[in-house]
Amino acid sequence: MKAYAAVFRMRLRMELQYRGAMIGGILCQMFFGLILVALYRALYAGGAQPVPIEDVATYVWLQQAFFRMMLASDADLLDKIRSGDISYDLCRPIHMYGFYYARIAAQKLTGSLMRAVPMLIMAFLLPRGWGISRPSSLSALLACIPALMLGLLCVCALENITVAFTMKTLDPRGMQGLLNLLMVTLSGNLFPLTLFPENWQKAITLFPYAQLLDAPIRIYTGGYLMSGVLRVYALQAFWVCVLAAAGVFMWNANRKRMIVQGG
Amino acid sequence: MNTLKLYFKSIGMLLRSHLQYPESFIMQTLAQLVMEGGELMVVILIVDRFQSLKGWSGGNLYFFFGMMSVSFYLTELFGRGITGDFPMMVRTGRLDTFLVRPRGVLTQVLCAGTDPRRITCIAVGTAALIMGSTLSGISWNLLKVIALAESIVMSCLLILGLFMIEAVFSIFSVKSVELVNAITYGGRSACQYPVDVYPLPLRALFTVIAPFALTLHVPASWILDRPLYGWPSWTAFVTPLSGAAVFAVMAAVFRLAMRHYRSTGS
Repeated sequence: MKAYAAVFRMRLRMELQYRGAMIGGILCQMFFGLILVALYRALYAGGAQPVPIEDVATYVWLQQAFFRMMLASDADLLDKIRSGDISYDLCRPIHMYGFYYARIAAQKLTGSLMRAVPMLIMAFLLPRGWGISRPSSLSALLACIPALMLGLLCVCALENITVAFTMKTLDPRGMQGLLNLLMVTLSGNLFPLTLFPENWQKAITLFPYAQLLDAPIRIYTGGYLMSGVLRVYALQAFWVCVLAAAGVFMWNANRKRMIVQGG
Repeated sequence: MNTLKLYFKSIGMLLRSHLQYPESFIMQTLAQLVMEGGELMVVILIVDRFQSLKGWSGGNLYFFFGMMSVSFYLTELFGRGITGDFPMMVRTGRLDTFLVRPRGVLTQVLCAGTDPRRITCIAVGTAALIMGSTLSGISWNLLKVIALAESIVMSCLLILGLFMIEAVFSIFSVKSVELVNAITYGGRSACQYPVDVYPLPLRALFTVIAPFALTLHVPASWILDRPLYGWPSWTAFVTPLSGAAVFAVMAAVFRLAMRHYRSTGS
């Protein structure tokens, strides 16, 4: 366990180095957020909806702020898979899955926190209805943090499943593209899940993708009541276990049939 | 004319090279189809929940979406050299080899890349166009067809021009500049909806700096018989020319920037 923690810490420090790329990324994401909020405001001008516009704006900003958590992949690992260097990792005295899980978790955590904090501060400064609104209560804010952490664990497990597919096909683009699309659609990044047709929502909120950001956001805005919070955590933890187990299984299966290309 | 022949010859060659790996190609093309299908689904969900957007009906929204999607992905299909590969060419020094050949650099960059996977995106866009046209009950005539064709061609030139901003930046900074994506991809996301739904600053941005409103929305809304801001008919044919203007300006800037190009030496 200590080894995984060390990998995690090292990767954390490395990720903190890229501050220049961060500023560009933040401004870009802010611009996308503004466009989306403007669009939803225009749509709301046509007629009121069960979900108030302030909640939709909050949803958009939180999604944009934590965008990096969803779509960030370990470029080194994908290169290693292609070149065959991954065979060196077999020499390490720790399990490969855990090693790369710790790396991707550190990458996603720093990448998203570094962007989210300045973005959320800016989004708070925007006028009401444009920016992010305050959490429905202090306890909602506190309850949202463990949910976010569980969401992070969930997205890392999903990422490692995508990598397992890449180990099979060697070319990351096809399968990764499909899985990433599922992610941005079903996690509410492309279109807030709260605005999907109501009977779809009942099913979609049970999917693993909804556990990443949708669940924490709903706790934040008060869409999930405090009394139901434990149920939400349980569902998230359930998916973390299932996805991690599936990932370990796939990685082990791939390890058996790994062909080292020589060189 | 010679240049055009050269262009199509190289694109043909690149196409054949892409098709050498059919499985990977089909997989990626399918991924593109699902991706653009997802974007269209968002518009469908929006129409399902909100019915209309500031007076634009669902059919109109599909039509706008289709026009944007067709123009954007036609540009990516034929102009991949500029829209995707250019920063890499600068970084790896591949651009240097273009300097010694007896053709313009821009021509060669355009000849060097194509992205046939986008064909499925264009198909989705076309489907949206047809859907939008039927639902909005457009009565097509020759003038409207000309306006549609002109609008798409000019929008392609505009998008190419906007991507050239990024190219010019990367000549100086070597790294690709993520921020410029805001205006290209951001412009696509924003302007697949009619521009008059946005507040004034965004409207100004997409009319003056990145004039998607002029190349796309003015002719499209005229075709839908709902002229944008009530402008007269002739504007539907004149304003799209701003796309060509942006391209011409950026081509000149690109030429200037190339004079300051210093190879990375790798």
